[in-house]
Amino acid sequence: MSLSKDLVLEVRGVSKSYTSGGKVFEVLKDINFVVGREYITILGPSGCGKSTLLRIIAGVEKPDKGEVVFNIGGKARIGFVFQFPTLLPWMTVLGNVTLPLIAAGVPKNDAVERARRALKIVGLEELDDFYPSELSGGMKQRVNIARALAVEPDILLMDEPFSNLDPLTAENLRSEVLDIWSSSILPIKSVIMVTHNVEEAVLMSDKIIILSPRPARIVKVVDVNIPRPRTRKMTEVQELVDRVYEYVS
Amino acid sequence: MTQSIEELVVELVVSTLLSLGRMFVAYLLSLLLALVIGVVMARNKYVESLLLPILDILQSIPILGFFPAVFLIFINTLGPIVGGELSSIFLIITSLIWNMIFGVYSSIKSLDPSVDYLARIYRLSSIHKFLYIYVPASRSSIAANSIVSWAGGWFFLTSAEVLSMGKTEYRLKGLGSLIIKAFEDGNTTLYIAGLLTLSTVILISYLTIWNPFTMKYTDTKILLGFMRVYNSIDRIVSKTWGSIAGKLIMMYNFIKSRVGSTHTVFLILPILSIQYLLYPYPKNLYSVDYSILSKVLRYGEDFLLEVPNTLIRVYSVVVVGLVISVLLAYISHTRFRVGKLVVMSGEVLSSIPAMIWWPILLPLLQGFPYVVMGFIYLQGSLWYTFFNILIFGLSNLKGSILEFSRIYGIRGVLYLSKVFIPSLLPSILAGGLSASGGAWNASIAAEYIAFGDLIVDMGGVGSLLNKQAMAGDVLGILLTSLFMSLIIVIINKLVWVKVLRRISGYYVVE
Repeated sequence: MSLSKDLVLEVRGVSKSYTSGGKVFEVLKDINFVVGREYITILGPSGCGKSTLLRIIAGVEKPDKGEVVFNIGGKARIGFVFQFPTLLPWMTVLGNVTLPLIAAGVPKNDAVERARRALKIVGLEELDDFYPSELSGGMKQRVNIARALAVEPDILLMDEPFSNLDPLTAENLRSEVLDIWSSSILPIKSVIMVTHNVEEAVLMSDKIIILSPRPARIVKVVDVNIPRPRTRKMTEVQELVDRVYEYVS
Repeated sequence: MTQSIEELVVELVVSTLLSLGRMFVAYLLSLLLALVIGVVMARNKYVESLLLPILDILQSIPILGFFPAVFLIFINTLGPIVGGELSSIFLIITSLIWNMIFGVYSSIKSLDPSVDYLARIYRLSSIHKFLYIYVPASRSSIAANSIVSWAGGWFFLTSAEVLSMGKTEYRLKGLGSLIIKAFEDGNTTLYIAGLLTLSTVILISYLTIWNPFTMKYTDTKILLGFMRVYNSIDRIVSKTWGSIAGKLIMMYNFIKSRVGSTHTVFLILPILSIQYLLYPYPKNLYSVDYSILSKVLRYGEDFLLEVPNTLIRVYSVVVVGLVISVLLAYISHTRFRVGKLVVMSGEVLSSIPAMIWWPILLPLLQGFPYVVMGFIYLQGSLWYTFFNILIFGLSNLKGSILEFSRIYGIRGVLYLSKVFIPSLLPSILAGGLSASGGAWNASIAAEYIAFGDLIVDMGGVGSLLNKQAMAGDVLGILLTSLFMSLIIVIINKLVWVKVLRRISGYYVVE
């Protein structure tokens, strides 16, 4: 990686396996990479352990071996966008976005204000007193993103955030996320996104980490040096997509 | 009194086998009836609108309310031996069938409509749909409901083996009547031996049958069970079921070729069974007395005077039971191993007939009658909230929501109030609904306690029913039971069902 980017976190020798019904499944094997102030995509086939890696970085799962080291003064604030919206059905949109802030000890009024700001960023400021069941799939996913933004994260983790949306909604949300990322209205230092969509990885990220099928190992790290905004039709994009496909298959 | 050890063992083994036999026969009959009634009710609008209110009422009739019926049809017509045995099985059925019917009904009701298209496109006949779609589709709800039903059956075993009406009393040989007799005779050895046998049989039946059955067909993880023993039982049951299914299809084709209509076959059985359940009431009611209206009014007045007492007690007990269950659920949720033990203990404790607590409770009866009453009430109602919340509720807690709480550090009171309790709310309400039914039934045992010369009468509807039963007042029992069921059905329709429907609309976590 280029030296101009500050080191934000480092994944060192992470391995993980599960036991199920007496059998041991190796999921991750000796994963090493560094993350700077950049947008990183972890790309790999379904079930290869990408999400496990993300959860280890988020600190909700422990690796068997290795560690994740943050290079941020103090505790890293993590925003997490789940694959499915994971909203609490008994709370309004605003309540859902506010909850993590209240859990983090933010005073109620500040929390509500920050939640409203986050909802405004994703274009849902009008819907804050709606319940999740009253929203479309795309809107729910926006709330999911707003909830992650509201904590003003140092690191934004996204677990296949666009994979369960229709292509049009996914396209819109992708460019919104990129706008938020590049506008620096929020102090996000790094984004780590998990996906199995090659084109999405090339269009969005600065660096693609390609994992092998289970047990996942890093096959290749690809730097994406294509100027933004990128479109599907750009020759560089098409060429890189083809190249990445070769590593994946 | 002076029994040798061998005699005692023989007595215990024979009694246990007889009781166990009754339980299994009652369970199997309930299962078959529940499948047929539940399926027909879910698939046929007319049957549904007819049976739903009837079942609601039958469900809330306390076991004592069935005694007159039992005496009139079984014992008076078939004699104490055959009639007694049938009465006992019938009474056990009345304490375990209702939630099984509703379980089957709701799982068929919630079946994906595309299954129906599939059945129509491939022209499945009613019998094929029944055997290959509806029965398998109800499996998980049958499994989970069996846990509750099995406990209910054992709980009323003592009542089902000692049939008394006024001065007449018939006792059937069995574990329930053995324990009662040992208690009355002051035979401590036999009493304790009976209790231990009962608890062991219950424990083994849960560990080898009901828990593994539920573990296999639902997502529940909080149960203890021996999968290997169960699997061999499962193989035998599957084989038997397979051959019964084959015979049923043959029979169906035979009847169809004679009768011609496919629907008739499926209407005959439930109609027969419902008629059977309802038959005794109207016919024999009128032969008791003709000046019925004035009597009805008098009984109604008695009932209204007593109902406020019971009403307050019932709903206080439901609230207490809910608090206890939610707390236990929280402990089980945070400490999983403790949780498995909590549920297992609940399964045994809930199955042991109320009667068993007498030696502990009797000394308290004179000084603290309210403690004793509260305890009996709780024993009859707590378990509904307990099982609903700890088995259904906890297994419905979504992994994704737990992960979300961990990632964003939602803990303690905030977790309890914003995540944990709201997640459990559907099962808290469903449990509360059944628990209030259980508490109404428990009022019979809790409000009027007669032991030897000692009589403690706490007033209330339960006490009223007891006094009517002691006096052999058939009309009184029938009317009081009916009034009580009506009150329960009205409260359920006005409060619980509305709230349940309201939350089920938006309570789907994605």
